[in-house]
Amino acid sequence: MYNRLKNIIEALIFISLEPVNMEKIKMVLEEFPPEEIEKAAAELFQSYNSNERGTQIIKTGGGYIFSTKPEYDRWIKRFLKIERKNKLSPAAIETLSAIAYHQPITLSEISALRGVDSSHTLKTLLQKKLIRIVGRKKSPGKPLIYRTSDKFLTYFGLNSLEELPTQEEISRILEEEKDFEE
Amino acid sequence: MEVTESYHIRLEVFQGPLDLLLYLIRKQKIDIHDIPIAIITKEYLEYLNQKEKINLNREAEFLYMASLLIYIKSQMLLPREKALEEEEDPRQSLVQRLLYYQKIKGASAILKGKENEEQLRWKRTFLPPMLEREEELNLEEVSLFDLAEAFFSLMKKREKEEFKAIKGKEYTVEEKMKEILAIIRENSYLDFLEYFTQQESLEEALVSFFSLLELIKAKIVIAVQEKLFQSIKVWLTKKISTKGKTDV
Repeated sequence: MYNRLKNIIEALIFISLEPVNMEKIKMVLEEFPPEEIEKAAAELFQSYNSNERGTQIIKTGGGYIFSTKPEYDRWIKRFLKIERKNKLSPAAIETLSAIAYHQPITLSEISALRGVDSSHTLKTLLQKKLIRIVGRKKSPGKPLIYRTSDKFLTYFGLNSLEELPTQEEISRILEEEKDFEE
Repeated sequence: MEVTESYHIRLEVFQGPLDLLLYLIRKQKIDIHDIPIAIITKEYLEYLNQKEKINLNREAEFLYMASLLIYIKSQMLLPREKALEEEEDPRQSLVQRLLYYQKIKGASAILKGKENEEQLRWKRTFLPPMLEREEELNLEEVSLFDLAEAFFSLMKKREKEEFKAIKGKEYTVEEKMKEILAIIRENSYLDFLEYFTQQESLEEALVSFFSLLELIKAKIVIAVQEKLFQSIKVWLTKKISTKGKTDV
């Protein structure tokens, strides 16, 4: 029965196109005790980390999802006839981190933080669904307010906003860059 | 993203005036909290002078920063009646902005690395929704009257929000058509309701609506409604959608 539980969890994650969180799994598997589910899940994820498989189950965006292992990227690209994946422009990443750290935030606040008009970049990020509109600010002109989306978390492999780079990590990278310049 | 890239090439590699300023401060190995304004202003102006032609509209932010630096410099040169510590140091707000910006800049570098790592892990989400496209064939196309009705009822609802946008940016049909197509390419369809609630002003919404009508008339897109009372979705017509699509 234990193996069966592992298999069911695997099937649920396999069929989802978006990360599935543990709560959802427990809700669906109502006839099993929650502790058993967690134990089975942990074992399942462990078994995927072995060298015997090309895929694994990773935790991202607060849930679990199937992904290929990074070392097989070359062959997947060849198979799908994709030379390289589109990457976000430096302006887009900068705008995203301005939003991520200061959300909820308006366009003019973002532009002030970056010192550059960001309306164009913002539109692109909305189109890519990496950010979303959450309402209007009660201030003159009633500007729209933006937040990062769940897709933002998955895109960067984060599980929650708490996993954004910390002040220490940022200071460290700034130091490294300084050393590099010298 | 590629399409917009040319728009973003500003003064070589700098993302904005704060970026340039941060670079100069680092180059001089200066403590951010104690910027020698005279030196930095000189360097900043020299950098701007290297550019023979400056696009005023686009580079205004850089010029604004230059004048801000000169203003601070003049403030610091002027003799004061009161002692300096009683007044606010004119550099203070600039330093604050630079510190905020530096943090964003550092975080961006880390996120860039995470993006690279994450792109090596392929997930099934990238597959285009082939199934949904097949289903599209059985769907009823929404008539123009239905579309107009949906649009007007949406705008009526928004009227109650009582927002008065300040007239500013002007929108063109061409620009909006490009935007609509970009959204469809990105997400394989455009949600009518979602798209029109995102519009900043009535003017923008109107231009967008005309653009959508143009696209439908030219048979580039098709508007369909899966079930009564469900949201209207706009798809590319079959012919065009067979062209390749790449994902984020």
